[in-house]
Amino acid sequence: MDPSQLLDVIFTGVLRGGLYALMAVGLSLVFGVMNIPNFAHGEFYMFGAYLAFFSYTVFHLGPIASIIVAVAGAFILGVIVEKGLFYTLRKRSKKQWIMNTFLLTLGISIIMQNGAKMAWGATYRGITAFWSGSLKIGSMNIANDRVVGFLIAVLAIVIFWLFLNKTRIGRAIRAVSLDETGSQLVGINLDWIHTLTFGLSCALAGLAGASLLSITPASPVMGIGPLYKSWFVCILVGMGNVGASIWGGFIVGLLETFSYMQFGAGWQDAISLTIIILILVFKPSGLFAKKGVKSVLE
Amino acid sequence: MERKGLVYIRIAEFLKKIGMSPGGALMFVLLAVTPLLLQDEFWTRLLAISLMMGALAMSFDFTAGFININNFGLAAFWGLGGYTSAILAVKLGISPWIGIVVGALAAALLGFLVGILTLRLAGIFASCMTWFVALALMAVTTNWVELTEGSSGLSTPYLIDTVSNLPYFYLILILTIGIYIVLRLVTKSHIGIAFKAIGQDPQAAAASGINITKYKIFNMTLSCALAGLIGGFYAHYVGVLTPNVMHTKNTIEALAICYVGGRGSIWGSIISALILVPAMEFMKGMMELRLVLYGALLILVMLFYPAGLSGLCETFYKFISNKGLFGKMGLLKNVRGQGSSQSSK
Repeated sequence: MDPSQLLDVIFTGVLRGGLYALMAVGLSLVFGVMNIPNFAHGEFYMFGAYLAFFSYTVFHLGPIASIIVAVAGAFILGVIVEKGLFYTLRKRSKKQWIMNTFLLTLGISIIMQNGAKMAWGATYRGITAFWSGSLKIGSMNIANDRVVGFLIAVLAIVIFWLFLNKTRIGRAIRAVSLDETGSQLVGINLDWIHTLTFGLSCALAGLAGASLLSITPASPVMGIGPLYKSWFVCILVGMGNVGASIWGGFIVGLLETFSYMQFGAGWQDAISLTIIILILVFKPSGLFAKKGVKSVLE
Repeated sequence: MERKGLVYIRIAEFLKKIGMSPGGALMFVLLAVTPLLLQDEFWTRLLAISLMMGALAMSFDFTAGFININNFGLAAFWGLGGYTSAILAVKLGISPWIGIVVGALAAALLGFLVGILTLRLAGIFASCMTWFVALALMAVTTNWVELTEGSSGLSTPYLIDTVSNLPYFYLILILTIGIYIVLRLVTKSHIGIAFKAIGQDPQAAAASGINITKYKIFNMTLSCALAGLIGGFYAHYVGVLTPNVMHTKNTIEALAICYVGGRGSIWGSIISALILVPAMEFMKGMMELRLVLYGALLILVMLFYPAGLSGLCETFYKFISNKGLFGKMGLLKNVRGQGSSQSSK
């Protein structure tokens, strides 16, 4: 592998990693705060992509406005799902909560996937580009959309990080993820925080789906790939560790591009999974495991 | 009259020894005669497929309901059993009957290794580990075209040289009953109690002297071996294998059947498979709406009745016996008393 090829790999890997990080942050946040292993995360990504598609092509909104519509829509859907299902479940079950939520998210995923198929058909709905043109770096051309998508991902992650660390509400979310009872004692409204967290996580997924619309067209099953990848990231760095999932996103992105280049198409999943499994054998709670991260058996 | 009672007790005691209740045995007998009465290939095939899914869901239940690990990669073990057997038959010309056993052994070996991998992991981490192994296996199956024919599909020889579905139905019925008896016997013995203890609280289980390593690995190995066995049957029944067999959606199907049937009951899985699989088949005309309803069913069960069908049956049974409407248990005890006093005379 010569240097220019290596540069290509690194660029592609980092651009991909941005998307994975964006997805993984939301997944990790929901697990850390609410203890829900969300297997419907990819469906919110799909929902965001569809919303962006319709607002861009049918309602002729600008790129930025379409993305904002998608984010807002995914947020609202997330809030509805949380209030309607997870809130009800939390009130009803105490002990087997995690197992039940796990099944619940699977049910949501099946419903959303097939609901999308019912409403919009199994066709691919894509656009050529939000921002046409491409950027020339070294020997390779990168589509503007890819670069802008990456920048949006980075910007979103930075804003999200500031929100979690610098605002009262963000600190309340982190407090709940550390200790539910303790945070209730200091007067945090748990129900409200849970709803907000789930909504935000869905909004992040929707953002990822919307900003990459020209690269991956909207279709009912488009969420599966990003869902797998965000799970790889979360397990690799340790569940519920929001900060580290950003690095994890880039690690998985690079790993994948590298094995794609080295071993050919199709093998990248097998190779990167083998490496992740090997890492987990030696560090079962993840690469950057925090002490006291909730596990399902607690 | 008394002799009849005695025979009944003998049968009941024998059934109890192999882990079956009289009702369960009756159900299996009814199942066995149904295709003969219906004389319909479509129904026979549907029942065979339902039984197969039920057996798969039982082996899922054996880990999920007892040691509390959702084996999210079960479909891959299922597919591994099928592929091993099919490849042996196609490439080496080995009889499918031997191939199925070898497939089960291969799945057991992988299950054993995964058991070791997941030992130190808890709950969702263990589930994800099995899932990752399954995804890796599926990727390998798809891409190793020389061996598996990839996504174009590997056509496999049939197990029995016949166009009728009936022999297959009886084969899967025997397999299902066998698997049921094995799982019931294991879970009813002290091993099952150890599993439940590990599932509820591993630390407390370890403190009371249970060797967690041994039991967890044993559980994974047995469950995966059974999945592989059913996979072998599937491969030689359907006649074509694609890597899609290993897809997570098949795991989700087994999982849904298991949870709707009631986790940790084993028998609930068969009942719910016999209801759900034909129901899904008949709703085929509804296209996507059918799967939306499927998802909604899953959500409703989890929200309002997590105990599932078996929990429902048990509640019903308790309600009836509390009301004294169901005197059979009392009757049985009386007859038993008479029987023993007679023999002593």
